[in-house]
Amino acid sequence: MLPPFALERPDRLDEALGLLDDVSVPYCGGTELLMAMKMNVLRPRCLVDLKGIAELGRLDWDGDDVLVGGAVTHARLATDDDVLSGSALLASVERRVGNARVRSQGSIGGNLCFAEPRSDIATLLCAMEASVTLQSQTDSREVAMRDFLIGAYETVREPGELLVNVLIPKVRRYRGVYLKYQYSERPTVGVALVHDEAEGPWRLAVGAVGEIPLVLEADSPSGFDPHAVAESIDLVEDLSGSVEYKRHIVEVYVRRAMQLAIQGDSL
Amino acid sequence: MSVTSLEIACTVNGNSITQAIDVRTTLAHWLREDLALTGTKVSCDVQICGACTVLVAGEPVSACTYLAVDVDGKAVTTIEGLARDGELHPLQRAFVEKMALQCGFCTPGFIMMAKALLDSTPQPSREEILEHLDGNLCRCTGYAPIVAAVEQAARVLQGIKAGENG
Repeated sequence: MLPPFALERPDRLDEALGLLDDVSVPYCGGTELLMAMKMNVLRPRCLVDLKGIAELGRLDWDGDDVLVGGAVTHARLATDDDVLSGSALLASVERRVGNARVRSQGSIGGNLCFAEPRSDIATLLCAMEASVTLQSQTDSREVAMRDFLIGAYETVREPGELLVNVLIPKVRRYRGVYLKYQYSERPTVGVALVHDEAEGPWRLAVGAVGEIPLVLEADSPSGFDPHAVAESIDLVEDLSGSVEYKRHIVEVYVRRAMQLAIQGDSL
Repeated sequence: MSVTSLEIACTVNGNSITQAIDVRTTLAHWLREDLALTGTKVSCDVQICGACTVLVAGEPVSACTYLAVDVDGKAVTTIEGLARDGELHPLQRAFVEKMALQCGFCTPGFIMMAKALLDSTPQPSREEILEHLDGNLCRCTGYAPIVAAVEQAARVLQGIKAGENG
């Protein structure tokens, strides 16, 4: 049995936004929130269930861009035909998030808002220059993923705001690789190396080893120095390894990602 | 209106149930304590080990970290729902024949995960089986017999399907 709370099940977005505050929190898949409640890390008075709000389940394509509703599950992003054909890279990363149960329950919005430092999808979305829309009763703002995450389990989202969608511009044109080393339920390191095949730089994002992903740009996939990247990144020692170990594994995985991208072995 | 208890209507292993449930109740707790379906096990209690896996609307979920009220309007399948007329499901039979269990505590979760896979991917590759079962833990078997059991069950189920169609 979980700690005491009440449940709200709005079916309209404006209704949900009117309910959110410091103690009434968004609830969707529960894969992060319910665990935190079990551990008494979070004690919300009310869970606002978002699963009945149709527009949060949208998956809209507009040319090369895709708009993903905050309640869309990882499983849907991993298996949706349009995602598979539009961005094999995005689908392949989603297919390896957590485990099959987490993917069927967990939502992209919940994943990003919980800001677990070892989120695969946050690392990829930082590299792809995605943004999120935060909406409150009175306002709406678009925030770049790189500005959205400000620390471990910490984002710029205010208590009255809801992450209503994720915009991934030009996702059809992105090619790249995502590599991770993972021996338990979350990665030790995740490295995304992507570029817009029509224009622009290559972007490298290194996640899971520190509080938020490190993002760097270069003109070509060979334009990064794996050793320098490993030396410059802020690392956090935890159960996945020491700072020394993480520095080593960052260098190895950045080099491997570069090799794959250079030889054209990318999605 | 916020509520602390909800009346839900769902099916569990094909049986219709309408019941008022405290919103704090996890699906695992409800299945085990209220419905006496103790085949669903709770081990890690934080959705890592997979022992509590059941199917909700055909999707595998961790019943330990899933609100029971969220099965409202849906079909739940637990390990008790697999056997038919006293005959074990091909997955259950394969786990026995391949000796894919020892203590057996993780087995219901593995079988329900495997069922989710075979329902959507009737002929999975070995790699797909390994990938799908990656989030389930077994401390007895070393996993190889479990993978062999899923492969065998897939072949048996394909044979049954071919027989039905032929």
